[in-house]
Amino acid sequence: MTIDNVIASEKISFKDAVEIAKKGTHCGMCKFDFLGSGVCSAGRKKGFLAYWPQGRMEIVKQLDSDRVKPTEKLIDIVNSCSQCGICDKQCNFTTQLRPEKVAKALKEYVDNLDNSEFQNVPEDDNLRGLREIVGEEWATNDPVIIASYTMSIIPRDTELNYYVVMPENTEQVSKIIKFANKNNIPYLPRSGGTAFSAAAPTILAKGLSLEQGIVIDLYRLRKLEIHPESYTATVGAGITMFEMQKEALKNNMRALAAEAGAHVCSNIVTTGIISTWGNRYGAFADNFIDLTTVDDEGDIKQHSDWERNNPYSTEPGFTNLSLTPHSIVTEAVVKLHPIFSDEEAVLVPFDNLKDAYRLLIKLGKRGVGESLAVLSRKYLAEFLSPTLQISKDFDYVCKNYIKLNYVVAVICNQDDKKIVEEMVDFTIDQSLMKSLILGAPRFSTLKDSEFMKILSEEEDPLRALFAGPMRDHLEKALDPSPENVAKVFDEDLQEFYKKVYSKPEMTDIVWLHAFRILPTRMMRQQMFIGPGGAMWTGDENHYLNWIQMFSDMGDKLNVEHSLGFITPLDNGKFAYMEYDYYYDHNDPEVCDKISKIVIDSMEQSLVMGKVLTILNYLFKGIYRKEHVLYPIAKGISKEEQELFKELLETVLGEEL
Amino acid sequence: MVKFLSEEWIEIGKNYMLEKLDPVKDLKSITTSLLGVVEHIPPNDTTMNFYLELEEGKLTDFIVNTGDTFEEKVAAYEVRGNYGTYKSVLQGEMSLGIAVLKNRLKVKGSKMQALKLIKPLDGVIIALKEITDEFEN
Repeated sequence: MTIDNVIASEKISFKDAVEIAKKGTHCGMCKFDFLGSGVCSAGRKKGFLAYWPQGRMEIVKQLDSDRVKPTEKLIDIVNSCSQCGICDKQCNFTTQLRPEKVAKALKEYVDNLDNSEFQNVPEDDNLRGLREIVGEEWATNDPVIIASYTMSIIPRDTELNYYVVMPENTEQVSKIIKFANKNNIPYLPRSGGTAFSAAAPTILAKGLSLEQGIVIDLYRLRKLEIHPESYTATVGAGITMFEMQKEALKNNMRALAAEAGAHVCSNIVTTGIISTWGNRYGAFADNFIDLTTVDDEGDIKQHSDWERNNPYSTEPGFTNLSLTPHSIVTEAVVKLHPIFSDEEAVLVPFDNLKDAYRLLIKLGKRGVGESLAVLSRKYLAEFLSPTLQISKDFDYVCKNYIKLNYVVAVICNQDDKKIVEEMVDFTIDQSLMKSLILGAPRFSTLKDSEFMKILSEEEDPLRALFAGPMRDHLEKALDPSPENVAKVFDEDLQEFYKKVYSKPEMTDIVWLHAFRILPTRMMRQQMFIGPGGAMWTGDENHYLNWIQMFSDMGDKLNVEHSLGFITPLDNGKFAYMEYDYYYDHNDPEVCDKISKIVIDSMEQSLVMGKVLTILNYLFKGIYRKEHVLYPIAKGISKEEQELFKELLETVLGEEL
Repeated sequence: MVKFLSEEWIEIGKNYMLEKLDPVKDLKSITTSLLGVVEHIPPNDTTMNFYLELEEGKLTDFIVNTGDTFEEKVAAYEVRGNYGTYKSVLQGEMSLGIAVLKNRLKVKGSKMQALKLIKPLDGVIIALKEITDEFEN
């Protein structure tokens, strides 16, 4: 046995497995092959979340808390895991967790149970009806399988009074809804569950979750066809952004990209795809040519049906909140966009937000670049750093020595690159960005170095570093290589990560912008939530004061916080901003603080006006952006503020 | 205590609202009318509706009908949902507001105006909760 195998086969106790599982954040990255390592074969075959690494982790937590008792299905779940180690490779890359250890501990726990300890779960009439629609194996009322959906559609404190059903086509979805209506059973569709998992530890869980009924897991709707001649793709509801982007790239095309694990259809519905490519490629209904939907009567409709009532408009105003989708999008024909051979990433560093914001909006209004964003220091640190500790040190060095607090990141062709370079004094070139990725561990160790001390004493450290001779010194000091970055991972995974980091795309900023596999690192072992929204850019001070409001709330409640990103929309007339709060999702006290921030920041945003908050964004993605963003919202009156509070009180309860 | 949507439910509901609810305090002196359409009623998957009218917070009309329309009067608001949702609201498992925001109850007309009614209508819901204890399975 090699050393690698010894480490991989290390056993841990069930208690330790629970502790690992608690750090999981339901990012869903184990459900698609983003590292070229393959993907969990049990999950692929069986579909239900319980058979995926993410689901096994949740089961361990639920068994430990006694919310669920072992069932006969649990034996099948643990035996389906081949212990191939793919999940460790995937999960460790983004979160540094080891799901396989959890799976092994779960198997050992199950192996040690007496046969009498497994519940038999009888079929009831509702399950029988659902099985008639989708087939015997694709509908269940098994509590263990149901429990695996906790925190990604089911709240953590309800009884497990649910069914999970996995349709394979639109017609089956339609039949399920008709069945649910006839039998008065609530239902909710689920794709990746990532949007809900971000809300799950907060007070928003009550509004966004399914309290009982049928979870319609859309994973099996896996149609994916690229139509090069029309620059479109037909995408089923079970397809992730990464999977679509990968197929599009084979045809030298690109889709408007949400984060890698987001599911295309549900992301369209939920937020209209919030992306740094939105200024060029569009938002909301700009994203698609056609949708196949199933409404709440179970009727199948095409968006393109010319006899339909206008499906693109929505009522304006702050009370237009929706906590669930109006219909289920089972298939979308989405727009793709050409990739140009001369595309490049240009990053402009800033020590202050105002200057970064000004450049961003100027570029947005001029239509420069394909992807455009202000990224915060925290984002850079999280994305580029392979471990949590390195990200903290990376952040520290940027903040305290070189004053690299923001970058304006532009993906553009060479013509636009010239425009950007003429507008600024210096940029971070691609070579140095590559070095920062492969040299992130070394960069983070420079915090006590003489080099950084000298640099910090410069009048303008950014200029000295990126436009002066110190640039070359830094690049040498970083000693960038796949070997060096791989060394920070667990020993048994180092060889694998060396190969991963040797792939050209892993240091290609354009690819990383399009495939967005790194943002999940914001969720490594802790949760984040990113309130914000789209604000009119006509008043710079108003915009910057809005961001400051989020910062002040974080300070006041002593929660780790940072601007995430700002990206223009609609030719720079609006800009979407995400402000992030990072917290321990297992700490109820901190979760309460986050709930307060989410609600208070929304209320304050509405009072300030000229903004569409993220909660107002929810489930508006199929409408025209012109109907969602316009008319530009005025600040709400005192009377309306009272109404807003009443509304929240009735929706979320008295706790606030 | 009576069965949801029965004749008796209407009578007792009327009396309860007239006797126990204060038009100003409980019903905020609202003047409005509402048609509640209840779909998928077991066991035969039928539809019924109830029409409710308030003037200055005082109940002036409360009628139950079969089908999904009420020909005699035009309600200011129509709230449509399935039997299970109404049941959840009347059993206190789900608030009227959350049922609207979750699209379980669909409001015809301005959502802004409808949501403004939620607080005053709380009084009506509380009254109906008090008197309703029997539902179809």
